[in-house]
Amino acid sequence: MRLWKSWIVTAKDLAVFKKNRYVLYSLIALPVIMGVVLPVIFVFALQSEAAQATHAQLLAGAGQLGDMISTYMILIPAVLPSIIASYSFVGEKIERSLEPLLATPTTDGELLLGKSLAAIIPCMGVTYLAAAISLTIFDVWSFSALGLFLLPNVYWILAMGVISPLACIMSVEANVIVSSRMSDIRAAQQVGSLIVLPLIILVISTATGAAGSNVLLALGVSAALAIADVALFYLAKATFQREEILTKWK
Amino acid sequence: MIDTENLSRKFGNLTAVDNVTLHVDEGEVFGFLGPNGAGKTTTVRMLCCLISKTSGKAQIGDFTVDTEADCLKIRKLIGILPENVGLYDSLSAYRNLDFYGKLYEVPDDRRKENIERLLKLLGIWERREDLVGTFSKGTKQKIAIARALIHDPQVLFLDEPTANLDPEAAKTVRDFVLELKKEKRTIFLNTHNLDEAERLCDRIGILKTRLIAVDSPKNLERSLYSRKTILHLETVTEAVSTVVKNLGFVKSMRVSENKLILDMDNPERDNPELVRLVVSAGGNIQYVTELKSTLEDVYLKLIREAAPK
Repeated sequence: MRLWKSWIVTAKDLAVFKKNRYVLYSLIALPVIMGVVLPVIFVFALQSEAAQATHAQLLAGAGQLGDMISTYMILIPAVLPSIIASYSFVGEKIERSLEPLLATPTTDGELLLGKSLAAIIPCMGVTYLAAAISLTIFDVWSFSALGLFLLPNVYWILAMGVISPLACIMSVEANVIVSSRMSDIRAAQQVGSLIVLPLIILVISTATGAAGSNVLLALGVSAALAIADVALFYLAKATFQREEILTKWK
Repeated sequence: MIDTENLSRKFGNLTAVDNVTLHVDEGEVFGFLGPNGAGKTTTVRMLCCLISKTSGKAQIGDFTVDTEADCLKIRKLIGILPENVGLYDSLSAYRNLDFYGKLYEVPDDRRKENIERLLKLLGIWERREDLVGTFSKGTKQKIAIARALIHDPQVLFLDEPTANLDPEAAKTVRDFVLELKKEKRTIFLNTHNLDEAERLCDRIGILKTRLIAVDSPKNLERSLYSRKTILHLETVTEAVSTVVKNLGFVKSMRVSENKLILDMDNPERDNPELVRLVVSAGGNIQYVTELKSTLEDVYLKLIREAAPK
């Protein structure tokens, strides 16, 4: 595997994305909603109840809110690849540019890695940007209201450091598989975005506190995602082969 | 340069390419003719290591299409112009070529030189920074040809290079192929355009799942149709018909209005004698012409013969 070869493909895809308004708007809109709008709404909601709550109650509520905000950040790398990867793979099918690309002295693995990185890099980039902004908003409030910085905590570190990249990889791999059967970008995006559904469990659990310990839940989700990533990697690798692409991709 | 031996490819129960054996010399322009679904593109894809073969052998240069290591070397050796240009519309012409140049591992300096040379040669250097999406079909085709040549490949596979092009753009592409021919590159040309094949190709293979015939266009025409001489007379008289019919070198004779259509093996040798005898029999000759069979006649005859009864 020659990483520099993959990087050529990644750089080209990133250049193509830069010219695609829909991809650019998606890369801006979702992080703004998740990283700015939602944290501000949550913080205002909590602040409005701060007058009636005791310090302990406010601290508990803030802790839960911090975990919820961290969980919402995970949705960004889970959802965005369905938009970007669909352009990367189905887009090439539509432009019929796969055949000349596959005719180059590049291995299937190098091409797959290059195209996957092109989806992963911008998604993770905006995820961390949104996470930094939401963390700042939340900590500014928590320091002013409670006198301490609540984030980053262990759950946030797990969510951003482990679950987000794993969710992003899973989403990209799923989209490679979905793209092989789709010839329409919107359809690929819709089917690909279903990958986010298992993560809804995490959203509900952190919002309701149903799991008891969010850290244990995060560890469990990380393990499940890691297993899913490995399984999907082999499926995606089997799907992304020259012969398959040229003879079976619809 | 290109060798196949009993090359076959099946898709399930369907045989797309059946036992194709051919040899293409270095520097030769080889035309591959056949109707839609004849297996031309499948053959090219097998030779370019894009899809696997079901059985048989195939070799480009010193490398066989069997192993991944050899396939990587073959892909460096060949350039391909697929039926669909497959360029990135949102990138400039220069960026498209630069991307492929990098993938073909062309060193920086040579890549820049090649892009400039090819774009200048094809008359699009001034528009190198324009997005490909703004170009006409013909210009896109030129860029796709430049892409196929970016790494100076020894072998070039061109799949319908002039399809859907206006006559002027088609001529530019054909002239460019002729230039490449002068550079002694081996060119494998898939085409439906018989006139183009006749003009560009040293030899032609006619494919309909299996290879029906391979030869130079001239030899194909001669091998299937004997040559005919047409005598245009003022009137075809009984005396003239009798004299001509009895000539040993005339294999058959047909009368059509004021014309005698004669089947002959060696008209260059026998036509002077024919003219002399017709004149002495009182015939007034207006013209002597040759009825040539075309590559189209040959192609249609072979394809019809190969059709399942």
